[in-house]
Amino acid sequence: MQKENEVMSANSQIVEEKPRTYWYYVKRQFKKNRLAVWALRAVYFLIFIAIFADFIANEKPIVMKYKGEIYFPIIREYMYDWLGVALPENLRNITSWRDLDYDWAIFPLIPYSPQNIDLYNVLVGPFDEQYVPSWRWRHWLGTDDLGRDVAAGLIHATRIALSVGIVSMGIAAIIGILLGSLAGYFGDNTIKASRASLFFGLIMLVLGYFYAIEVRKYILIDSLSKSILDFIIQLFISAGIFVGFLFLAWLLARPFKKVKWLGERVFVPMDMIVSRLIEVVVTVPTLFLIVAIVAIAEPSLFLVMAVIGLTGWTGIARFIRAELLRIRNLQYIEAARSLGFPHRRILLRHAIPNALTPVLISIAFGIASAILTESTLSFLGLGVPPDTVTWGSLLSLSRKFPESWWLAIFPGSAIFITVTLFNLIGEGLIYALDPRFKR
Amino acid sequence: MLEYIIKRILIFIPTLFIISLLTFWLSTNAPGDPVEQMLGGIMGAEGRATDFMATEEAYMEQRRKLGLDLPLFYFALQPLSIPDTLYKIPKRKHQEVLRRLIAQLGNWDYIQSYYLALKQTQIRLYNLPVAGPFRKYRNKAYEVINELFMTYDTLKIGFYTTLLTFTADSLLAEFNRVSNDTAIIKNPQEAKRSIMEFKESVQTLKKAYLDMIQNPEVWKNYIPTIHWYGTKNQYHRWITGFLVGDFGISYVDQRPVAEVIKDAVKWTALMNFLAIIIIYLIAIQAGVYSAVKAGTVQDQILTVTLYILYSLPNFWIATLLIIFFGGGAYLDWFPAFGVSSLPETAPWWQKVIDVAHHLILPVIALAYPSLAFLAKQMRGAMIQVLKEDYIRTAYAKGLPDNVVIWKHAFRNSLLPIITIFANVFPFMISGSFVIEYIFSIPGMGKVSYEAIIARNYPVVYTVVMLVSILTLVGYLVADILYAVVDPRISYGKKK
Repeated sequence: MQKENEVMSANSQIVEEKPRTYWYYVKRQFKKNRLAVWALRAVYFLIFIAIFADFIANEKPIVMKYKGEIYFPIIREYMYDWLGVALPENLRNITSWRDLDYDWAIFPLIPYSPQNIDLYNVLVGPFDEQYVPSWRWRHWLGTDDLGRDVAAGLIHATRIALSVGIVSMGIAAIIGILLGSLAGYFGDNTIKASRASLFFGLIMLVLGYFYAIEVRKYILIDSLSKSILDFIIQLFISAGIFVGFLFLAWLLARPFKKVKWLGERVFVPMDMIVSRLIEVVVTVPTLFLIVAIVAIAEPSLFLVMAVIGLTGWTGIARFIRAELLRIRNLQYIEAARSLGFPHRRILLRHAIPNALTPVLISIAFGIASAILTESTLSFLGLGVPPDTVTWGSLLSLSRKFPESWWLAIFPGSAIFITVTLFNLIGEGLIYALDPRFKR
Repeated sequence: MLEYIIKRILIFIPTLFIISLLTFWLSTNAPGDPVEQMLGGIMGAEGRATDFMATEEAYMEQRRKLGLDLPLFYFALQPLSIPDTLYKIPKRKHQEVLRRLIAQLGNWDYIQSYYLALKQTQIRLYNLPVAGPFRKYRNKAYEVINELFMTYDTLKIGFYTTLLTFTADSLLAEFNRVSNDTAIIKNPQEAKRSIMEFKESVQTLKKAYLDMIQNPEVWKNYIPTIHWYGTKNQYHRWITGFLVGDFGISYVDQRPVAEVIKDAVKWTALMNFLAIIIIYLIAIQAGVYSAVKAGTVQDQILTVTLYILYSLPNFWIATLLIIFFGGGAYLDWFPAFGVSSLPETAPWWQKVIDVAHHLILPVIALAYPSLAFLAKQMRGAMIQVLKEDYIRTAYAKGLPDNVVIWKHAFRNSLLPIITIFANVFPFMISGSFVIEYIFSIPGMGKVSYEAIIARNYPVVYTVVMLVSILTLVGYLVADILYAVVDPRISYGKKK
């Protein structure tokens, strides 16, 4: 009986020992780098600040009792903005939340919104004398030339900085992974297409462009000024039209494939095409191009994200291309091929997942540089709408008011710290992924 | 090797071609009318018809001089509804409005007669009497007509044309009321004729508008046509000029772009030259030192310092340098702005000292991020090399440290330094973009920033193209140097 138990437990031990994936090793290596782990934790903290910015710095109380009733004004505001739930009678048209006659109220850590103008405290420093009712209302990091609280601005701008970093790198990752894997996996001599399909493909490419972009030009432009969601929907419709035309090309080419010359299959130099494209994007002075585009168009945060993403994918594409050039000659890919799996399945299931980890390095550094680019843009007064407070725009104020050191020190530190954190994570990933550093 | 270089240069051509298309395409989508920008504002409500014709004439003349009266590109892929001569419509805003109208209605013939009727009405507006009682109506009509030139909303157009009809009627009524008062109207016949003419063209306009919206031909928007314009187009004009060194004329000060850039490039070149010297002098020393002392306290301090330097945003450091050292509220050690504060007549050595004094802060701000990056790479490469067997051999046979480090190890760790040169180059150009803006240095960065803001496209094109060419050359030089430094790398044919 006892023996049986032993066998059982031994068995269960074997079962419990999970197969260790590549990811497991990556994580283990990464965790050895204390600095990178702390940087990651700090980034989580920044994300927390970004998400709950409204509860950390806000002129409205988090909870309050007013005229005998308990309210959650910030949550009500959210309900009003997102769900259209009307505000309670007592909370409407309040000009100064600070001076309401509360029964009791719990204010956020920083009792100011970034747009709040405090006329009594214009351009006051953290250590200057401030005209505030009590220490609770102090401007801990000073105010700007309109009397807006710097700390509140910094906290709300975290949201902008992080979302620019993450969204633009998301766009860059999609483009980079797609193009890089196409180039790396197929190379110059894998994909073959008949001359007929190439011919019709080219024609339909032009027609697809005509119907998807040229004809719908004004619909697309107008939707952008309406809302971003609208624009994305219209963009998807255009993409659908485009794909439809490519499908049409495929249909049209079918009967011609039987003709001898037209049906002959020639190589499509995927790698060459993508490499040229990368070269073009790398060669263009990126910051210059971004400034040019942003200066032309209406200021919008989404545009800044899109432009940074559209110019920032080359690093990712190069990484994944190099990785797939290596992987595609490995035995397990050959095995999958000889089993007759289609390219799509091999790429998505086997090749790309194994090439993704090095891309993380590129993304981490990419986020850092995207945040830096965005703050450079708003420092130059471009990109984001003028009334939006960002780290860069706060910093640019210090040029106008050189005596106000707090306008230079705090926003700059915020940029510096965030950029450093992402750089540290990137560095940590390099060590975690490089077998030479395995200890 | 030569074959490889020629091949690379041939590959440049399509890349540069695509970049030139990209910049050109961007500029054509920019809002604003360069001709209007050069000539200044539009005519007010008070002018006479002859003045109006004169401004139109000046506009056309300027437009022709800039080559903006040509089609954009060699060919155009357009819907059937867009006429292939739309580019001839003078004002860019008008073109845009007409395109919008075509996108809605598709019937160019009707839209054209509407547009012509509107222009006719505009000319006749300037013939109207300006005297006291008419002024109000005239101003009103002026506003409405300007509004009509801007709007493509058919409902609004209907509203405005009706409004114009009323205004014309009021003008006539006003005329009838005061027609006998010679103190107001000197020449009643003339005034009456101009009012009647105006009324007539407003009626034509109204009719043209109704025809336009009642006979839409939207199907024409869905038939693609390709029109071939030949080499007489704006792109061709620009790119052929560029290839022979004629970069066009700056929109802002009407100087040749080549001259504007020549003035600017010397400052950027000087700054970058100084920065590169500093970078290589310090970074190589620091990197090698830190690699040799790897693991010690000195190494760790140096590594952390370099790391922090690398992550510090350069526009922040530049701002801090100005605030704390540039005569702001704190220390006044260096001038904060510009490159020189001496008169032209000062002796040359004073000028040199003055310029150097001005450039210290910007060069520091420009150099330190690349410096930190390079030192970091140098350290990594050096550490790799120091682990090699032949270094141990060199030590073992009793060579002095200096010889081992600089002669044996350093040479072999040069490779990454070269790659980085290719990377540092574009990085420094974008770096000087911000730094020059902050320190008001009249270099390429500041000139191009101002050109972008002022939509001075000839300058923008030229800078983008020149920087792209330089970047490509930088990559090529780096690749060639690779082969020079490391004989194992060869770009010749593989067997």
